[in-house]
Amino acid sequence: MADLRINLAGIESPNPFWLASAPPTNTGYQVQRAFEAGWGGAVWKTLGDPILNVSSRFAAVNFNGQRVAGFNNIELITDRPLEVNLQEIYETKKRFPNHTIIASLMVEPRQEKWHEIVKRVEDVGVDGLELNFGCPHGMAERGMGSASGQVPELVEKQTFWVKEVAKTPVIVKLTPNITDITVTAEAAVAGGADAISMINTINSLAGVDLDSWNTVPNVAGKGAHGGYCGPAVKPIALNMVAECARSPHINVPISGIGGISNWRDAAEFMLMGSSCVQICTAAMHHGFGIVEDMIDGLSNYLDEKGLASVMDLVGRSVQRYSSWGDLDLNYKVVAQINNDVCINCNKCHIACEDTSHQCIDLYTESGRPMLKVREDDCVGCNLCSIVCPVDGAITMVEKKGLSPMTWNERQALMGQYASTTILK
Amino acid sequence: MSAYEEAVLEMKNIDSLLSQGYDIAHVYENLSGMFVELKKDEERENVQLLTADARKYLSIKLREQAADN
Repeated sequence: MADLRINLAGIESPNPFWLASAPPTNTGYQVQRAFEAGWGGAVWKTLGDPILNVSSRFAAVNFNGQRVAGFNNIELITDRPLEVNLQEIYETKKRFPNHTIIASLMVEPRQEKWHEIVKRVEDVGVDGLELNFGCPHGMAERGMGSASGQVPELVEKQTFWVKEVAKTPVIVKLTPNITDITVTAEAAVAGGADAISMINTINSLAGVDLDSWNTVPNVAGKGAHGGYCGPAVKPIALNMVAECARSPHINVPISGIGGISNWRDAAEFMLMGSSCVQICTAAMHHGFGIVEDMIDGLSNYLDEKGLASVMDLVGRSVQRYSSWGDLDLNYKVVAQINNDVCINCNKCHIACEDTSHQCIDLYTESGRPMLKVREDDCVGCNLCSIVCPVDGAITMVEKKGLSPMTWNERQALMGQYASTTILK
Repeated sequence: MSAYEEAVLEMKNIDSLLSQGYDIAHVYENLSGMFVELKKDEERENVQLLTADARKYLSIKLREQAADN
């Protein structure tokens, strides 16, 4: 059986599955139950000056019968005094010394505020700190969370202040509400971060009630933007992790967060450079027990792949993620339809005819309706195989094309033959 | 005519000129596609390529020519 223990910037954990800083890690009772269930670590719900919350805090986006495809919240950081949280952290760590407890922190961008909270939190024996520069709602209006996480100078400065006094590893949690997350990731590294985590939630409005015209959720008839998470955000998060992982300027480990719902998602994040993963929405949807399947699934997968340790998985796909300009322009795949499996719903034909490249022909053979791809005209967009409801009916197959050439190679070549005048 | 057939015609035209001894001298790309100037001694031929596949093809031919030179 593969070794599931991980090490993130010196923080050791019995497995890569951590609960993210959020409602599931609000109290010692919850975190201890999570550890009993098998979670390797927990990032305690963000500590700071205790806030006041509103009622009606969460909303979900369901899609085509899937409940909680996306999740929106307007809950803020902890509303409990620091002393209460610290006592529970201490008790939890004492009971579970081999499990990982990270304290998520958020205070005003002032050196003395950071120094104070870091010292007090580390005194109770946390394994590391996570600086919450990502929370997009409420706290951002007060200059904290994503408001400071969107300003690289503030990310660097606050990380530096924390590192001035921190004795445990410092993880900087980044906001996705920014054009290029590598910029703030680099700022965190410049400030001395030992690791980075991403993504926090995405600015969102879950919906509008068509009867009342109120927002969803609403607080006495008024709404405010929340933070979006859950399965819907996974591709956004995975890209941000990958962009940081492949950046030569970001040389610290990553804790991946964003829509991770099962072991497969976790493995994808680890392949793209995450040393561990943090999970919230799936636990809120299904309970702490989901970690059991995650551990089993990941363990079996590692055994199948012949990997002795889960750390052997970390970053294995990063080199396969590149810039568009380095992709081979001449690589070619085309769709092939298996008419023995096809149910003649014609969704592929409609999709191709209406919205792609008009290369799937309808014809009749022995009185039976058939579909055929004109391979010469197929650009390999994949749309037909995406909309096809039957597994195995449409396969994308590689075809021999011209010799490989990337856009960047092409442009370099073109530059040597470029005309300075318009040719006619 | 399909996009592929259009591309084939443009590629054949390029092949034809290259087989006649023309070399690609200059290229210019703008909103209207790619303009290619081919030279053989003092003779010049200008070709406009409209299709993406032909523009890719021309790039490969250009690389082959650069390698030969």
